[in-house]
Amino acid sequence: MATLPIIVQILVGGLGIGGLYALVALGYSLLYRAMGLVNFAHGSIYMIGTYFGMIFYMGMVGGLNLPYGLCFVLGVLLTGILGIILERVFRPLADLDLMLMLLGTIGVGVVIDNLAIFIWGAQGFAVPRPLGGKPLKIAGVAIQPQMILILLVSAVLMVALNVFLKRSRIGKGMRAAAQDREIAAAMGIPVNLTNALTFAIGSGLAAAAGILAAPIVYVSPAMGGGVGVKGFAAAILGGMGSIPGAIVGGLLIGVLEGYSSAFISSEYTPAILYAVMVAVLMIKPSGIVGETTVEKV
Amino acid sequence: MKIQTNRRNLLLTAGLIALIAAPFLTTNNYQLYILNILGIYILLNIGLNISIGYCGQINLAVAALWGFGAYVSTLLTVDLGINFWIALPLSGLITAVLGGLIGLPSLKVRSHYLAIVTIALAGIINMVLVNEREITRGAIGIMHIPSPKIFGFEIASEFHYYYFILVMTIIGYLFARFIIDHRIGRNFIAVRDDYVAAQAMGVNTAYYQILAFAISGLYAGIAGSLYAHKINYVSPDIFGFHSMMLILTMTLIGGSGNINGSVIGAALVILNESLREFEDLQLVLYGTAVVLIVLFFPEGLVGLFDRIRQWLANRRKKIPVSEGTP
Repeated sequence: MATLPIIVQILVGGLGIGGLYALVALGYSLLYRAMGLVNFAHGSIYMIGTYFGMIFYMGMVGGLNLPYGLCFVLGVLLTGILGIILERVFRPLADLDLMLMLLGTIGVGVVIDNLAIFIWGAQGFAVPRPLGGKPLKIAGVAIQPQMILILLVSAVLMVALNVFLKRSRIGKGMRAAAQDREIAAAMGIPVNLTNALTFAIGSGLAAAAGILAAPIVYVSPAMGGGVGVKGFAAAILGGMGSIPGAIVGGLLIGVLEGYSSAFISSEYTPAILYAVMVAVLMIKPSGIVGETTVEKV
Repeated sequence: MKIQTNRRNLLLTAGLIALIAAPFLTTNNYQLYILNILGIYILLNIGLNISIGYCGQINLAVAALWGFGAYVSTLLTVDLGINFWIALPLSGLITAVLGGLIGLPSLKVRSHYLAIVTIALAGIINMVLVNEREITRGAIGIMHIPSPKIFGFEIASEFHYYYFILVMTIIGYLFARFIIDHRIGRNFIAVRDDYVAAQAMGVNTAYYQILAFAISGLYAGIAGSLYAHKINYVSPDIFGFHSMMLILTMTLIGGSGNINGSVIGAALVILNESLREFEDLQLVLYGTAVVLIVLFFPEGLVGLFDRIRQWLANRRKKIPVSEGTP
């Protein structure tokens, strides 16, 4: 029976998962703003980022079993570096037409996915929960400790990203470069460098989401596909290129997913999410937050 | 002029003879299998090309439509006992209708939005194939799909199926040529090149967008039926995003907006298959090849051929390089 505690419980879980989608969605939006690039390899970056963190946690590198927090930092940093390398590959793509951009980024995604299969095998693994599996009871609402960690860390990351973009010199440079590449370059902002940084941050956020999710999902080379599409859906729902939009979109998708799989059908939940995304796009292509999107042609 | 037509006819005859003789040059069944798959991919590529290359409408649901067509044909023959020769055109038509429906969002959204919308709709089709177990048997798929029979003769071996697919591919090619060379094709290109101008000139852009999606569906449906009755087995995972990626790379690398490009692009199947010996690295190498081609030959294989041909022609005539139309 859908009692109030259950409804609240699903809401909290949905917000947690939604926070992860928001982190992934931010990667799409940041990159779209900065380079006009739609990165169809982002789901693969999320997957490889998870591996970059979890291989140190699961003793897959020289039998090393580092603490979860350290693995988190390592995974995010390594994926950020991968992002900088990928920016160099994708730089010529941003000037090509959409079809080739699509093909180039999908190609990179295929390479990443299959390299993961080649190195670690197609078979995935389950990650033990660093905070234990015993749910906390708060006023009759059972919450997994990992869910609380997810909510906290993703909130901190989002606030930190906003402060960084709004307040710091580098962040301001990144926003300027996103608004007008030529003028920013003329004003002495190293646009290629800010783009590389944008790519690094977007990739790092995806890795953060993946490493946070690892203890509650099954880690495998195929894990990026669904999250990639849902993160994209979140970015579009909120309005592509909008930072608050990506966050709101992610949370909405997460909550919708939670209620849909609890009350409608868990098998058809992705289909329901996709249908909602298509419907929103048809009715209001600029997204629900309604911020005017950056038009890059 | 006369000499040129003669030369053209000669080339066409030689090509046709080569196509008819091809199975005799293969040394094993596997090579024949590749040729047959090649034909099916040519049909899929042409369908996608009409939508993406000619009408400018991104359609990443072609693989799912292919699967849908395969299931329609399978269910019609296996469950309803309908003759293959009726099921083949029916699955083409039914898939064309679904293709047209998938095209509806294109009236409102464009570019990368349309890409993700068609990915999402393809995902929904696949979920239905997996989850509607009472009809589709779910993820395990359907086995023992009958081979087509003609006048009591069963088209079952790769060798016999080759000629069947060859005929279907030639029909598909000529039909596409016919569309493209006539009014529909010109309107497709008008919609692609300048949507607003096309509308201003009185082109019913919505009609042509949906038509392009429907034609993609028609080709995918026919290809699906041909595939199902050749492999004699269907399951949802064959028609996933991985297949879509293959079709998209073939179409774009072959040359978007060029029917011959769809034929040439299908040869990438051979590249993909020849990389199979690298096992787990197969798709790593294929993906790398795709990225390199996009970065260094963005105009596709047809563009590359044109470049070489122009370079040769210029050398022969010893005239300065002119900016001719590609």
